[in-house]
Amino acid sequence: MSIERKSRMGQHDVVQGTLEMLILKTLALEPTHGYGVATRIEQVSQGVFRVNPGSLLPALARMEQAGSVKSEWRTSENNRRAKYYKLTARGRKALAAEEETWNRQVSAIARIMQASAKATSEA
Amino acid sequence: MPMLTNLIRGMKSLLRSANVERDLDDELQGFLDESMADKQRSGYSPQQAEHLARVEMGSTNTVKHHIRSVGWETRMENLLQDIRYTIRTLLRSPGFTAVAVLSLALGIGANTAIFTLIRQVVMKQLPVQNPQELYSFGAAGAGGMLGGVDIGTVELFPYDFARQLQQQPGPFQSTAAYSSFAPMVNIRIPGSAEAIQAPGKLVTGNFFQVLQASPLLGRTLQPSDDTVKNGNPVTVISYHFWLQSMSADPTVVGKTITINSIPFTILGVMPEAFHDLKYGVRPTDFWFPLTMAPSVMVQDNILERDHYFLDMVARRNLTHSLTADQHWLDSQMRNYARAAAGATLSPARQQEIDHITTPLTSAARGLSSLRNQYGDSLLILSVIVAVVLLIACANLANFLLARAIARQREVSTRLALGSSRARILGQSILEALTLSLTGGLLGLGFAFVITRALIAFVMRGSPDTVLSAHPDGVVLSFTFAISVVAGLLFGLAPALQFARSAAGPTTLSPSTRSTANSSGRFWPKALITSQVVLALLLLVVAGLFLRTLRNLQDQSLGFERTHLLIAEIKPDIAGYTPENVPVLNQRMLESLSAIPGVRSASLADTPPISSGAWRSSMHPTGYTPGQNEEMGALLRRVSGRYFETTGVEIVSGRGLAPSDTSTATKVVVVNQTLANKYYPHGDAIGRTIGVDLDTNGPWNIVGIAKDTRALDLRGAKQEPLIYLPIVQLSGAHDSFANIILVRTVGDPTMTTRAVRGALHSVDPNLPILNIRTMQEHLDTFTSSETLISRLTSTFAILAVLLSAIGLYGVMSFNVARRTNEIGIRMALGASNSGVQWMVLRESLWLLAIGLAIGLPATLIVARFLRSQLYQMSPFDPVVFAAATIGIAIVTIVSTWLPSRRAASIDPMVALRYE
Repeated sequence: MSIERKSRMGQHDVVQGTLEMLILKTLALEPTHGYGVATRIEQVSQGVFRVNPGSLLPALARMEQAGSVKSEWRTSENNRRAKYYKLTARGRKALAAEEETWNRQVSAIARIMQASAKATSEA
Repeated sequence: MPMLTNLIRGMKSLLRSANVERDLDDELQGFLDESMADKQRSGYSPQQAEHLARVEMGSTNTVKHHIRSVGWETRMENLLQDIRYTIRTLLRSPGFTAVAVLSLALGIGANTAIFTLIRQVVMKQLPVQNPQELYSFGAAGAGGMLGGVDIGTVELFPYDFARQLQQQPGPFQSTAAYSSFAPMVNIRIPGSAEAIQAPGKLVTGNFFQVLQASPLLGRTLQPSDDTVKNGNPVTVISYHFWLQSMSADPTVVGKTITINSIPFTILGVMPEAFHDLKYGVRPTDFWFPLTMAPSVMVQDNILERDHYFLDMVARRNLTHSLTADQHWLDSQMRNYARAAAGATLSPARQQEIDHITTPLTSAARGLSSLRNQYGDSLLILSVIVAVVLLIACANLANFLLARAIARQREVSTRLALGSSRARILGQSILEALTLSLTGGLLGLGFAFVITRALIAFVMRGSPDTVLSAHPDGVVLSFTFAISVVAGLLFGLAPALQFARSAAGPTTLSPSTRSTANSSGRFWPKALITSQVVLALLLLVVAGLFLRTLRNLQDQSLGFERTHLLIAEIKPDIAGYTPENVPVLNQRMLESLSAIPGVRSASLADTPPISSGAWRSSMHPTGYTPGQNEEMGALLRRVSGRYFETTGVEIVSGRGLAPSDTSTATKVVVVNQTLANKYYPHGDAIGRTIGVDLDTNGPWNIVGIAKDTRALDLRGAKQEPLIYLPIVQLSGAHDSFANIILVRTVGDPTMTTRAVRGALHSVDPNLPILNIRTMQEHLDTFTSSETLISRLTSTFAILAVLLSAIGLYGVMSFNVARRTNEIGIRMALGASNSGVQWMVLRESLWLLAIGLAIGLPATLIVARFLRSQLYQMSPFDPVVFAAATIGIAIVTIVSTWLPSRRAASIDPMVALRYE
């Protein structure tokens, strides 16, 4: 399973399966529109991850269908009509659950990586 | 498939509103704009910024497609894929699919058939406006004509009372009356040679207005059609009669037909769905104004006081309280009774009158004798067919569970490849639904056939019926609903199994095949056990009903039931009078006795056993009745050779003889009950008895006949009965015989044609309503018992078969799954018989548990059937033992094959199995 893939500009796509969690986290801070989500993920990850609109917008649509976010049309800071996404109660719950799973997985992976490093050094 | 995809694409563009499309465009454009603005801020030229932003986004159409695909259309596409997958899977195992669909079809078909009948017999409302406002005075369960009774003691009313309430309905919107039975009339249609007979009702002119029933053609009766005694020769005909006898003539309104020799004008035709307010098996064909009763019923004084023959119905005002309405009705009846009693009223009589009441009974669903006769049976049957369907569901749950276990590997693989758990669960449910809906569809066909057979049984060969086998919308929705429920029921177990296998991360290991978790083994066993419980229950119920039917049929009746033919005739509507009917009677007897193969022939008013009864008060001389003692007896008017013909035994004295002519001393034969009750010292013969008839007595008792089953097969009480010689009776009706009994040497059905011919030679216009054997006549008394016992035994056998298939399937699967383990056992020294016993033991355990639960449960259920049974306990040990042994045999037989297979496993092959 490939976890990351080199993209054109030296940046990475987000880790597979984490996009929705990242969106949830972003929206938990503040409701924003699609482009806002994309830029915030890029900024907070200090440019490591970037989200392209081709996967971001369908993901948002999917999450809206599932009821973890809801949307409304508002005027953006640039005075444009934009679709703002906001976390719902269900979304908040989903975020908490995913965060927990994620943390468990990360620490498990970390342990595995250390163990195999040890095993290699002993060999 | 491309066609389907195109279709879906087309639907998308049709259904997706323009707004949604525009919003989508706006959102994408907004994203692009923001992105471009940002890039310009970081120093790109506008052109570069736009180029970069567009490259990032890729094709807007692709993005839009991705967003759209989140919607329902995609799920629809997935669903279609899943359906194709399911059908392919099912077709890959045609044997399993066939058994599954067939057993479901039988289960669902049986349920649909019973529901079709329940709907028509028990549930259906009258096809009139606001049927819930209609209330009958009493249950109107009886039909007939009574004299010498009080209003309110029977649920029948005389003409003057009905008219009084029709004119002053008090708190009711309106009231109407109709004859409690439909007398047969003799009809001659212009242009057709043969007269026909059909039943017609007499109704008040406002009957159809009270019911708010509209005609198909012409008009219904009106109060103005119901004004002059014998002066309103008009009629409304049924759809059935219009179709069968009037060739559905669209110009029938205004035409004339001759009824009982009087020309009647046809006013209108009722619609097909209208079977009258009170109806039986045979639909009413005519409605006449009540004023025509004397000529329709051939009884001139019928409309006079003291002829109680009408049923009444009111359209209530639902805003009034039922109690107040009831109170008003009771007071009307009490006033009527007081007026009839005259000036002198004893306190005892006064008290009696104060207690007169007839309960208002809802008639929203009409008053159906079919409901009275078959309602209970149908409700019991509906439970039984539900149980059969449950057993079929248990079977399928087991089969699908087994397949789910066998397919764990496939499921794990699919999960690993990224298939969603919901979709796999959905597919499993979809498979169950596909099976159950296919079964339901086939079941509709079965249901039609079963319903038709049931209706034919209920009708006993009569072609006219108020029932229909065609499913209507409600029946179709019922079938659909039970199919879906059944599908969910048996789809649940395998779905849960899939859910579990999805949770376990180690399912790829082949070892799980032989060592499934304990819960995986629990469900098949639980299902088998519950099948044993249910099958036992059905076997016991079937056994109880079968024995009840046999008890009813095998009891001693007091008369011979074989070699006896019954012909029903109706001389009065053909124009015979009390004066000339004795000659007819004599000539018929002579002509019938001359038929070769006829031992003897006799006339009677009813067959020896008949639910219709002629009763009168009577006065045995030398007996002093106690206070308020009911002094009544059943009466039978018969001709000379009645006792010879029917085989009713004369226990003392003599029977009736040719010497008992109209001018000779008046004689009667009484039954043992009468003799013992009123002449306990054995001195009945030679005494006289007074009977309140048009013909004056006294009547000399010349013989005592053995008690017979006179009214029905179930009643416990014997009533006093008097046999009167028909030749010695006079009066408007008493010299008419409606029944001819013929004792034959050989098979009575062979004589039917000769009897018809003999009667025809006496008078070609004599209406013969039907000719049947005594056995056929007796069968009508056990029809609901026959129906229920036949159906319960059929369903019980079906249930046992299904359970056997289920047990066989589960055991075979278990053996196949444990091949490896059994191989190891045998390699370690287990004997063939040991292995076979191991498999058998498992199913015997299930049987034992099933019996341990089933026997007490069945005992509890059987108690509810007590009222349905005849001369037997609901805990009949023979029935319980037979059912238990039956289940045990079926269990052993259906496990035998799998156990043999287990015993013949070759350990070398088994160990390499996998």
